Amino acid sequence: MSTDTRVRARGAFRWRPDQQWEAYLFLVPSFLGFFVFVVLAVLMSLGISFSDWGLTGWKAFVGLRNYQALLRDPVFWQTASNTVFYIVTIVPLQLLIGLAMALALNQAIRGRIFYRLVYFMPVVTTIVAGAIVFRLLLSTNGPLNELLGNAAGLLGIPFSAPNWLGSSDYSKWAVVILTLWKNAGFTMVVYLAALQGVPQELYDAANTDGAGPWQRFWNVTLPLISPTTFFLLVLQLIGAFQLFTEPFVMTRGGPANSSLSVVQYIYLTAFRDIRMDKASAMAWFLFIFIFAFTLLQNRLQQRWVYYESE
Amino acid sequence: MSQNSAVQPQQQLRLPARLALQVALLLGALLMLTPFLVMLVVSLLPTQAFLARDFAPSGFSLANYFATFEQVPFLRYYLNSTIVTVSVTLLQILIASLAAFAFARLRFRGRETLFLFYLATLMIPFPVTLIPNFLIVKSLGWYDTLWALIVPSLFSVFSTFLLRQYYRGIPIDLDEAARMDGASSLRIWAQVIVPLSGPVLATLAIFVFQGTWNEFLWPLVATTSENMRTIPVGLAAFVGQYSTAWGQLMAGSVIALLPVLIIYVLGQNWFVKGITLSGMGGR
Amino acid sequence: MKRLQLSAIAGLMIVAMLALAACAPVAPGAAAPAAPAAGDAETAAAGPTTITWAFWGSPEEKASHERVAAAFMQEHPEIKIEVWHQPWDDYFTKIQALWASGDAKVIPDVAFLWPTPRYAAEGVLENLDPYIEQSGYDIGDYWPGLLESAKYQGNIYGFPRDIESNIIYYNRDMFDAAGVAYPSNDWTWDDFLAAAEKLTQKDANGNTTVYALAAEGGKWTKWVNQNGGSILDDYSNPSKCMLADPASVAGLQFFADMMNNGLAMRPADLNQAGGDASVFSSGQAAMILQNSSRVSTFNQAGLNYDIAPAPTPADGKRWNGAGGAAWVMSSGSDNKEAAWTFLEWLQSPEGGEKLYTAAGEIFPALQSVANSPTFLTDQPPANKEAFLTEAGASDVGGFGYFPEWGELSGSIIEPGLERVWAGEVSAEEGATDICSQVDAFLAENSYPQ
Repeated sequence: MSTDTRVRARGAFRWRPDQQWEAYLFLVPSFLGFFVFVVLAVLMSLGISFSDWGLTGWKAFVGLRNYQALLRDPVFWQTASNTVFYIVTIVPLQLLIGLAMALALNQAIRGRIFYRLVYFMPVVTTIVAGAIVFRLLLSTNGPLNELLGNAAGLLGIPFSAPNWLGSSDYSKWAVVILTLWKNAGFTMVVYLAALQGVPQELYDAANTDGAGPWQRFWNVTLPLISPTTFFLLVLQLIGAFQLFTEPFVMTRGGPANSSLSVVQYIYLTAFRDIRMDKASAMAWFLFIFIFAFTLLQNRLQQRWVYYESE
Repeated sequence: MSQNSAVQPQQQLRLPARLALQVALLLGALLMLTPFLVMLVVSLLPTQAFLARDFAPSGFSLANYFATFEQVPFLRYYLNSTIVTVSVTLLQILIASLAAFAFARLRFRGRETLFLFYLATLMIPFPVTLIPNFLIVKSLGWYDTLWALIVPSLFSVFSTFLLRQYYRGIPIDLDEAARMDGASSLRIWAQVIVPLSGPVLATLAIFVFQGTWNEFLWPLVATTSENMRTIPVGLAAFVGQYSTAWGQLMAGSVIALLPVLIIYVLGQNWFVKGITLSGMGGR
Repeated sequence: MKRLQLSAIAGLMIVAMLALAACAPVAPGAAAPAAPAAGDAETAAAGPTTITWAFWGSPEEKASHERVAAAFMQEHPEIKIEVWHQPWDDYFTKIQALWASGDAKVIPDVAFLWPTPRYAAEGVLENLDPYIEQSGYDIGDYWPGLLESAKYQGNIYGFPRDIESNIIYYNRDMFDAAGVAYPSNDWTWDDFLAAAEKLTQKDANGNTTVYALAAEGGKWTKWVNQNGGSILDDYSNPSKCMLADPASVAGLQFFADMMNNGLAMRPADLNQAGGDASVFSSGQAAMILQNSSRVSTFNQAGLNYDIAPAPTPADGKRWNGAGGAAWVMSSGSDNKEAAWTFLEWLQSPEGGEKLYTAAGEIFPALQSVANSPTFLTDQPPANKEAFLTEAGASDVGGFGYFPEWGELSGSIIEPGLERVWAGEVSAEEGATDICSQVDAFLAENSYPQ
């Protein structure tokens, strides 16, 4: 947001005193929920993060002790690095796969409705069930390894079956695979919607200028759907930072904490180790990170996101 | 954006390209469907046959489905899930729609600040609020009731955000014209904005429906008696300390999956249109 | 105009509230339970005292607990037991939430729990010493070292229901087919390895198709302690990690080598294959190292099996980890007298212990019950004495008895060993790495105290 746009935005915003109370009434039900189940809850947890807090509640105020303990905890740093791995793999892969699926389905092709339905099915599936199936598919002598082995055999490449769930080299990938399966359909649907919003006139104009398919994609499609890309990027980054259910049901974070995400560690710290205080501190640490990241993205967006209105 | 182009694919491809695309799409569909097929097959197999990796169709039976209903009050879970999901979907969207209208169409002081606050909470990891919310629900006397499952879920930043984005895209002239005719804000909301937002509401409804239907952790913490369990929590009961009843787990999963799938199939035409019109990604 | 708007919005909210209220009738006890509950309390003076009893388990296990509750209520009509049950995965999260609420109405009076010291340190458990003293309850009947696992700062906070007496289950048909003699009661690691070599079957590529042994990763403490090794120098007030000592490393390496040589299934693979009961039943493994919990499953399946004590190193000792989930009493209970009556009955040779043992569910924590006909039935396995042999060698060494043990074990020790079991590092590398982290953890938490 440059100073320029901010001034413009403020200029455009006219306060209407007669709408003040009306607006509050519209907001009352929403704000009530927001206040009780978000604001209040967050303030409580902030308080807990500065306290010695056991099962039975508050014991003492301890200042930054929980945060300091966190910085010295090697497991926390390991989970942080695991989470970074999830972010740099899941987010771009999901965007790419989702975009590819959307581009394909945006063509006049037989069975579009069917494909759209099938690709989105995992999104509405209970993740517990999905994970159990994937544990079966990814087991050491399971179907995926068999497939890979056969493919490698055909190509004459030496192949040793990866232990997807049992080795710390691959466990994160098992989580990534499950997550992509589960969520790529969502990205696809959102991209599909964006693609259908690109005016045909622009493609016609590009054709008249003699642009090939690649140029059309690069110069027309990509810029025009960049707001959607930005939206998805923000959403998925936040999601990837908070990844919990997927590793929780897929690998339980193992082996050797190699697939443990930060949020999962927060959960374990709170409910296995009964250290609500340390868990709250960790949650706040994570929040600060996500917040900073989102701000940064907001700054960067004007470099590559194209807005029609500007 | 012209209405026409919104529903029309861009161009006819040539035959070889179309064929290649078909093959790729079919392969993709196979990849996406395999887990469902496995789920279905395992749900039809006795656990012993499954563990012995004996997938012969001759062993198929519906025994796991019957067992699912016999061993646990699955109908009760189903009823709970339905009540919770339907109430949450309808009311959450109503509440979010009202708030989004205020954020998008009304000019009041503190609007941007309040909205920024809302948005900031999107980034709060959910374990932060888990225990406090449990304590809050408990002190309201809602522990182990359907209220505990419904009320805290009625408010959603995401729904509010999505609807606000959409409402902002509707030309403001419509409001101005209606106000000239003496319409109140509520009337504008009810008669101008809501009728224009059918697809986006349908989209949101699908999101909220599937999210609530599959929600696991909160129902787990907020209820205790068997009569208050929802389907995912009930499913977890099959995963024992020592052994997992795979067949029943899968049968339960199939049963749990059906309603969301049906709703998605019925609503999917609206769905894509809704996402298009919501202008996800900010206009 | 404006008034109209206000009333319209108000009307809308009423509609919303009504819609919300509409689900009340279908929500049994949504609003209702508060009032009747209060009424109950008043009439309770005449009727029986109600106590809540919390445990985890599958639907079958729940049914068995309910039979025990029914038996108790028949003997003690003045006390009514209400059960609170959750699957294993959810139990701990939820019971913590109950205690966190501080509400005596929802806090379970008697609960099944592990690890006891962690919860005792939080102050949610009742110190049982005064009750034991007053009633003359016999704590000498427990297996050696077992009550240690339920102590905190020297006081007893719980009664372990059972003890993990880990023995070897072996498939007689597979031993016969491989021409291997059945294990003796005093077989050694070398005997064990020799038998394992013969029982293991591999395909042309050298991949194991039938394993000699399937053992959960957590069973490693047996090999370490048998070999004279240990995890910590002191299990209540530790000052240093002992896993990297030669005796400990050799114990770990023994287990790891069996996996690296294809004789034993890696724990991760075992987990994927559905657990040791599955692979033993389906003939994928000839032996498993496990407690008594598999007996009823194997008997129902009609397997031709028997059990033997675990093999010991030639210059080592017999050792069994003394620990088991315990019945505890909440310090927030509002019916402590009734709760104690129930607790004492649960853990008496003629009460709960007998019923659970007779149902074939546990290896009893009480020696008298284990030595009684209730346990020593004519059902398989034939060599039930093996359970008694191992249980008699019970000792500390498997767990820490301080509050932070769960965190230390769950975040550092077990994850570190998972790399050894996966064959990614040697036992020595793994143990050295673990020990540096354990020592740092102990210092961080101000141990020794």
